[in-house]
Amino acid sequence: MSATRHIEQEDLALFAMQLLSTDESATVTSHVEHCAECRQLLAEVQGELAVYAHTVDIHPPSAQARERLMKQVAREKKEVPIERASTPEAGSGYKTGLGGSSTVQDEPKQSFGSRIFPWAGWAVAAGLTVAAGNLYREREVMRSTLVRQAGQMDLLTADVASAQQVMDALTDRTAKHVMLTKAPTTPTPPIPQGRATYVPEKGTLIFLASNMEPLQPNKVYELWLIPADGRNPIPAGTFHPDDRGNASVILPPLPRRIEAKAFGVTVEDEGGSQTPTLPIIMAGS
Amino acid sequence: MYREMGLANAPPQSSQDDAALLALVKRGNEQAMASLFDRYSALVYSVALRVLRDPASAEDVLQEVFMQIWRSPDGFIATRGSLGGWLAVVSRNRSIDALRRKKPMEQVDEMVLALPYNLANEAERNNMMEKARSVIYKLPIEQRKTLEMAFFDGLTHSEIAEMTGDPLGTVKTRIRSALTTLRKAFQA
Repeated sequence: MSATRHIEQEDLALFAMQLLSTDESATVTSHVEHCAECRQLLAEVQGELAVYAHTVDIHPPSAQARERLMKQVAREKKEVPIERASTPEAGSGYKTGLGGSSTVQDEPKQSFGSRIFPWAGWAVAAGLTVAAGNLYREREVMRSTLVRQAGQMDLLTADVASAQQVMDALTDRTAKHVMLTKAPTTPTPPIPQGRATYVPEKGTLIFLASNMEPLQPNKVYELWLIPADGRNPIPAGTFHPDDRGNASVILPPLPRRIEAKAFGVTVEDEGGSQTPTLPIIMAGS
Repeated sequence: MYREMGLANAPPQSSQDDAALLALVKRGNEQAMASLFDRYSALVYSVALRVLRDPASAEDVLQEVFMQIWRSPDGFIATRGSLGGWLAVVSRNRSIDALRRKKPMEQVDEMVLALPYNLANEAERNNMMEKARSVIYKLPIEQRKTLEMAFFDGLTHSEIAEMTGDPLGTVKTRIRSALTTLRKAFQA
């Protein structure tokens, strides 16, 4: 595939299905833009794909889907260009009806209302113009707000995606957890270790453990939050280590605003306990 | 003014062709939009459902595609091809984008599609569907599976080659051959 040679039909099919890499797609786009022959071939491939899409088994969407669309359509009503109604020339009617035969003597006979009425019309028009101007300004403000909020949404979406990636990495069973320590001079068995990250204000807790010893059947490790105000320990989730002794407790349900004095780990029966069973095999404050 | 407003709100005839309905949609006629939805929603939804395999996500794509028509009906110009075919391809592409969780790649109004069928006509549409299915089922199984993996599963030729163990060139050739067979069957 090059910018000078024609694009191979195989590549046109992949391009039409958006399956080429970004660079390859850019090359095809640039070539097709200037090559009528390849453009025609691409249109034919798109037509073939459209026919192929029709081979799918047909399922009607739910009735709510139609309702949802029509509601959205109604919400986004279009501003249809309106033909301006032809306005009679101001005062022309008066001229043909009155002007031709009017005399100076007739003038005092015009009522106060008939003299004020034409001005009232202009006043109403001016009022409407001001109101329309205000509406237009409001609409522009709302539109810019919408654009700003759409930008914020994009940022939030990116943040959520990033947070999800972190969560996925932390909870992935295939992830390798490595803790680096000072190299021992004599070989010693690995010591079980845990690291708890706790935000009292939000009740958020993340606990990562390594080198955990395997458990007997029907037993489980349980993490405890020991409150600083002397209340009973609060269960903060149970866990089983994997084959390599790694384990984690991510965001267990905890009450907010509980200051922690320490964290501990006990071994409990499967299903966990509401009160810790001694001994506490791991503790940290 | 009243004549124009009357036109914009007049209920469209069911037999109206796509271009006429799109012209009404451009003028803000909601009933024309409903007519287009009734005509093509099952196709758009079914393609999205086949790709995403999730009814809720497929309905999101359905909504997105039809709102695109409502917002910019100019994106589709009658001379560029059939609205039904265009919708089927856009539905597939939007669904693949949703699958990959990325922003839409194509500029819809840049996609030209050569399809000499009047898919606004239900009988003609059904006839074409039957014929296309028949041609696809007669394809060699490798060609059929390869095209399916590329079009409905959005797998690149490298991914297909890796999964099937076939050389890259073979994968590309199978996709092209399947599409060529489809085209020749409709030219015959």
